[in-house]
This record gives sequence, C-alpha cells and structure tokens, in this order.
Amino acid sequence: MISTKNITFSYNKDQIFILPDLHCDAGNTILITGDSGKGKTTYLHILAGLLRPSTGIIEIDKTNIVTLSESKNDKFRGQNIGIVFQKSHFVSALTVLENLEIASWLATGKKNSARAKKLLEQLDITSQSDKLPSQLSIGQQQRVSIARALMNEPKVLLADEPTSSLDDRNAEKVIELLTSLSKEYKAALIIVTHDSRIKEKFSNRITLV
Amino acid sequence: MITKLAWRNIWFKPLNTILSIILLTSSVAIITVLVLLEKQFEEKFNSNIDGVDLVLGAQGSPLQLILSSVYQVDAPTGNISYDSAKVWMQHPFIKKAIPLAFGDNYKGYKILGTTPDYLEKYGAKISKGKIFEKNFEVVVGGEIAQKLNLKVGDEFFGSHGDAAEGEVHDLYSYKIVGIAETTGRVVDNLILCTIPSVWQMHGNHEEEELHNPEHGEEGHIHEDGDEHFQHEHDHDEHAHEEKETTLDEKGMEITAVLLQFRNKMGIVTWPRIIAQNTKMQAVSPAIEVNRLVSMFGIGIDALRYLAYGIMLISGISIFIALFNTLKERKNEFALLRVNGAKRYQLLTLVMIESLLLCVVGFIFGTILGRVALMFISTSAEKDFKFSFNPYEFIWEKEGVLFLLTIFVGILAALIPAIKAYQLNISKTLANA
Repeated sequence: MISTKNITFSYNKDQIFILPDLHCDAGNTILITGDSGKGKTTYLHILAGLLRPSTGIIEIDKTNIVTLSESKNDKFRGQNIGIVFQKSHFVSALTVLENLEIASWLATGKKNSARAKKLLEQLDITSQSDKLPSQLSIGQQQRVSIARALMNEPKVLLADEPTSSLDDRNAEKVIELLTSLSKEYKAALIIVTHDSRIKEKFSNRITLV
Repeated sequence: MITKLAWRNIWFKPLNTILSIILLTSSVAIITVLVLLEKQFEEKFNSNIDGVDLVLGAQGSPLQLILSSVYQVDAPTGNISYDSAKVWMQHPFIKKAIPLAFGDNYKGYKILGTTPDYLEKYGAKISKGKIFEKNFEVVVGGEIAQKLNLKVGDEFFGSHGDAAEGEVHDLYSYKIVGIAETTGRVVDNLILCTIPSVWQMHGNHEEEELHNPEHGEEGHIHEDGDEHFQHEHDHDEHAHEEKETTLDEKGMEITAVLLQFRNKMGIVTWPRIIAQNTKMQAVSPAIEVNRLVSMFGIGIDALRYLAYGIMLISGISIFIALFNTLKERKNEFALLRVNGAKRYQLLTLVMIESLLLCVVGFIFGTILGRVALMFISTSAEKDFKFSFNPYEFIWEKEGVLFLLTIFVGILAALIPAIKAYQLNISKTLANA
C-alpha cells in the first residue's frame, strides 16, 4: 500500500512541481501519464525515495519515507520497493541469476537463490540464467528487470516506461506480467508511461499537467 | 559478496586488469630481488671479512686483492715472497696470520694452500675425517663435497690455474682426508691443503711451464725469480722422491696473508708502512668492501628508482582503468543503490577492485622476484661460486613493500571511489 499527500518538488526556484496525491492498495494498479517534461519520472523517483520532495508525505505501509535518513532510506527501498526502468540496467559482469541474487543480498544480506530461480521460471527465462545480461534480447532483459524488482517481495512496484522500447507483442506481455505478478505478490503497482498502447488497459489513471 | 562482485568486475575488463597487474608485478619483482640481493650480498660479504683486519698481498688493485684472497672471485694480484711476509706475520702486533697460496683447481673449484687456522676462522669444523697434515692431503668444503659427491678417501688430480679446462697435473694426486661443515661462507666452495703441497705440485713441472710462458700461474715465481727458481727446482726434482717440501723451504712464494691484529693500531698504520718499505701492500677488507658496495649502490639505487617509477605508472594505470569504466558503470552503481546498496558500499566496491589488483600484483611480483633470484643465483653460482637463497623472506622490508603497494592501490582508487560515493542516482537514471 502506498499513499502520498501534498507533494511538491523543485530542481530550482523557477519550476515547482505540484504533484497530485495518490493512493494505491496492494494488488492494485495506478497509471501515471502526462506529456514529456511534466515530471513523470521525477514523481516516480520521489515515490522510490531516490529524490527527496520539498514538502509532503509518502507513506508506504505506515512508514513515511520522506523523513528517513539516507542510509535507512536505501535499506527501506531495497526491501520494500521494486523498480523496473525504461531501459534495463544490470551489473554487466554478473550473470542473470547473480544479478537477481545480488538484489536480495543488498537488501537483506542474504542470497535468496531459491526465489530467484522461481521468478526466472515464472517469467520463462530459466534457460538464460547463466548468461550475461548483455547476451539477452531486449524483451528478455525487461523480464529479468521485472524479476529483479520482485526479488524482495516489495510492497510497491514502480515501473518507469516499461514498454517504450518494446514491440507490441513484448509490450503486452510485460504489462501482463507486471499486473499479474503484482497481484500475486500483493504489491501496489504504479506505472509511469506515455505509451498509448497500454493506457486503455487501466481505468485508474492520474494525468500530470 | 562485494569482494566477489569486485573480482568479477576486474575480470570483466581483462586487458585493463592484465596491464595493471603486469606493471605491478614487475615493479614488485624488481624491488623484491633488490631487497633480497642487497641483504644477502652484504651478509655474505660481511660474514667473510669477520676476523680479517688486513690482507697482505702483492701490489696492484687493492679491491682485486680483497676479492681474490677473501672472496675467491677474482684473479690474484701476484705473489709475495714467503720469507718477507713472515717478517710481518711474526710481528708482535699480530694475533693470527693465515698464509694463502693459490694452486690448482678441481672441476673449477679452487685448491687453496693454507693452514688449519683458515678453517677455524670461518668456523668450519671437520664433519668427516680429519684435518690435512701431510702434503696432498685435502679437506673439501661442504658444498663441493655435496655437489661433486666426494667422500673421504677419494683421490683426484687438479687442473692448473683457476680454469676448469686447465692442464691436468697428473704427477701428484690429491687425497681427501676430511670434509668440512657447510658454513654459508667462501670456505664451502674451496678445497684446502697445506701450502707446501702447492709448492711441490708446481715445483715439478717448471720446465714444461717455461715453454708455455703465457700460462698465468699462481703459487710460485714468475718474473724475477725464474732463473733462481729453475735452479732450485732442479734441486727439488732430485730430492722430491725422498722428502716432502715443507714450510721451511727457502725462497718460496705465497699469494696473500690474512692478518688479524692484537694491537688495533696496526690496522691504521700498517698499510702505509708496508707500502713504503716493501713491494707488498696491506689492505683493509672492510674499507674495500664498503667501496665496492657503494659502487654497486649506484646501480642498485638506479634500479630501485626504476621500480618505484613502474609502480607509479601501475598506480596511474589502475586509476585510468577505474576512472574510464566509471562512466559506463554509473548506471550499474545507480542500480545497486536502487537495490538497497549504501553509498559506502559503492566506495568499498571501487576500493576493493583496486586493492585486489594490488594484492594479486604483489603476490605475482614476490613469486616472480624469487624465480628471478633463482636464475641469478644459478649463474652467480657458476661464475663466482656465490649463491643466493630465494626462499628467504625479509618480513620487515617486504612488509613495507606490501604496504606501499596497498597505498598505491588506495591512492589510485581514491578519486573514482569518491565519485562513486557521490553519485546522484536520480540524475543518473533519468539521463540513462
């Protein structure tokens, strides 16, 4: 569950983002849309605790992440927030499986190999688990990103333009996986997108203006 | 896990890594060799001059006299008359005087005529058999006995001079009566006999010798005494069947005398007195060794600066490698942060990558340095009968070297690590 109140943010004095409040329960999905430059990615980064807002409250399971210290914030993010990016980033020297394992190690101090393997199986990429991420196709990479975001059973799953670099078939598959897995693992799913292919699929929409 | 990630990261760019490691390895290897060489060299040199205050020998290069008579590595300066040397050897200032007469060699190992005091001076006890007493009885140094597999009771012929290929003296054979302990000093690589053995061995083929004037021979007269010697030698030839040559023989020559003083005044005054009054010279081995070491020192210093230079370059190479990949790895770092990594963990990651290179370089360097020393030792052994021990660890100096290597690693990683620490995740991800 995630909810926000009165969030404002500014990179400099000229431009102030006033971001709408949102509330998303576990298993539900909210779509954040809007034109370029309206602060979609900024909003996502604020929700993820990567940026600190000027004012406001962000509550994730009764914890206000705005007031957390930086290192506590890092830890909280690792354990409770999963993020899928527009372009997949990986630790390029580690294999697919190790990339998932390190995500659990960084958050909890333990390598959760069993869960990593289960997720890879669910996402149908078990055969790629010993390859380097760069050897995978973009669609496969995006699926590994989803697996990694779900590694620590997050309360909130954030997706930043998860479909923009994918073709129709892969885009549909990724959205399908995101929604079904977030329901299965009881995570609140927030997707930031301007991709018209997926807008129609969700009724719960916030548009930034 | 961070260490594992660091290890994987450094091998993800193998060329950069190998370059850095090669540079580190070579600088560490050079310094290791220098440290070991310098210490063992000094040890060997100094242990051999213990108890020798002055060396009395023929005029010529003082350094050559020391090298030949104390270390047995150079040709001798010439011969001195035993009768005139005796005047100084029996002086009340003198505590102990050990005469040396260079004779032949056996398979490249010098046969040295001397007195039992020589063994005693080097602390070489007889481990098997007894000390030489009669002419042509020899005591063999511990290392030779082991290398040539010699036993008490063996007999052999010496070759003339100091070259293994020299003419074989087959008139008299040497008989091994004793084997000395290994001491780590020059005596290990010598075959020792009485001085009259050397005289007698060479007394008997003088005629033949005259036909080969270029033959450099130690142990008897070359220039001024030839005629006289010829005469004496004739006499000797008649006599040698019946009696052995003894130390009391008149007009004989020796190569050098090692002198130990009772009265230390002599060490200072004798070199001048002897140079002014005789055709001999008296040289202090301590002074000459210092001179030699300081001559070597320039070369060693130059090599050492070179090694530090290479280490600096390897530091720069690590820095460049880390700094260059930093740009590509920004996203990776941001990602690690998103997954819950703390700032200091990224700092540690970069540091560990650099330190791993340094530790690997140091280990390889230490090993390579010792392999190099092994080769140096083998060739020094062949040329100078001088060996080094590559397995010795000088913890103090090599520890400092290790710390220095680590320091270079930390220094090289400092800026990249701080940059990783200060990384702005949001900005990095937004621009990706």
